[in-house]
Amino acid sequence: MDHRPFEDWLLEDKALTADEKRLLNTHLRDCPSCTSLAEVDLALKSVRVVEPAAGFAERFRVRLEARKRILRQRNFWGFFVLVACALNLLALVAWPLIEHLVHAPVDALTAWLSSILSFWASLQALLHAGEVLFKVMPSFVPAYIWMMVLFAAGGWSLLWIFSLMKFTKFPRGV
Amino acid sequence: MTEEMAWIVQAQQGDDDSFTNLVETYQKPVYNLCYRMLGEPEAADDAAQETFLKAYQNLTRYDRERSFATWLLSIAAHHCIDRLRRKRFISFSIDKDEEGQTELPDRSAPDPETETVKKQTRERLQDCLQSLEPIDRAAVVMRYWQDCSEIEIAQALKLTVPAVKSRLHRARRALADLWEEKPAQVHRERKPYGSPAF
Repeated sequence: MDHRPFEDWLLEDKALTADEKRLLNTHLRDCPSCTSLAEVDLALKSVRVVEPAAGFAERFRVRLEARKRILRQRNFWGFFVLVACALNLLALVAWPLIEHLVHAPVDALTAWLSSILSFWASLQALLHAGEVLFKVMPSFVPAYIWMMVLFAAGGWSLLWIFSLMKFTKFPRGV
Repeated sequence: MTEEMAWIVQAQQGDDDSFTNLVETYQKPVYNLCYRMLGEPEAADDAAQETFLKAYQNLTRYDRERSFATWLLSIAAHHCIDRLRRKRFISFSIDKDEEGQTELPDRSAPDPETETVKKQTRERLQDCLQSLEPIDRAAVVMRYWQDCSEIEIAQALKLTVPAVKSRLHRARRALADLWEEKPAQVHRERKPYGSPAF
């Protein structure tokens, strides 16, 4: 049976003229497929909105408070564990130094000072080497290598951003 | 500024009472969407509560240019879709009615038989709805129960307007086919004064 244009009229919710209505009614008498479409449409339009059980807002308040309490507890214990770990790590690292400082303060201070000076000298040497490399490198590294490095860095950054977005939890639809 | 917008602004500033006002205002459409999507009153209640919690937690991200109702329905629809994906084969118990209890024909109604037929139509429709794909089901519920426009549905479900139109057509055609396959099972009850002999 040819359902056109009747099926389209029903699906488009077209405002029908009196003649079109008459034609549609005649078609509906013989066509079970279009009749079911019209019946479903009528059923969808007539079925009422379902209401939640009484006290929905009150139940929400209770759930919100419970969720806030869990969040507060989680934050507190998270902070507590973090501080405890940091203090332990600090004690573990600092203990030999403190012990050394207590037993031979002059030796310890001299050793620290020489370490700082040596670090500073190394840093300056590295910076100088970097400066020289920066001036020399472009002349003997071909342009396509630079392009590849740039593309790789771009791809790496995109991957990084995508991963961050993927693992950052925002509910869908918000 | 409308009363609703005032509540939203106050809730964004941390006023829980204002948010509760919003919950009271929108509990019915959100619950109805969840119920039509999930088919079970308990699951629908839980999903509606979770929807409001998500809205509360993300209220600062709400764009005031958008309709608040559409934003809420969008969260509810996505929450239900995710839930359905986790639990692929959800079965709708026909023993339970929309309020979660067995619905008996209203004896005080002028015609209990009509009430029974209405109840069966609701159950039959809900049964057909459960067979639709979750996104199509959300589109149908938003279109028919929430009177959302195709643009609003598209915004809520992150689809294009032509995609919404096509999904609605497809869903209604599928519902009609199911409707045809599952004819109404009208168990005509014998009236107290009736007799099988007559």
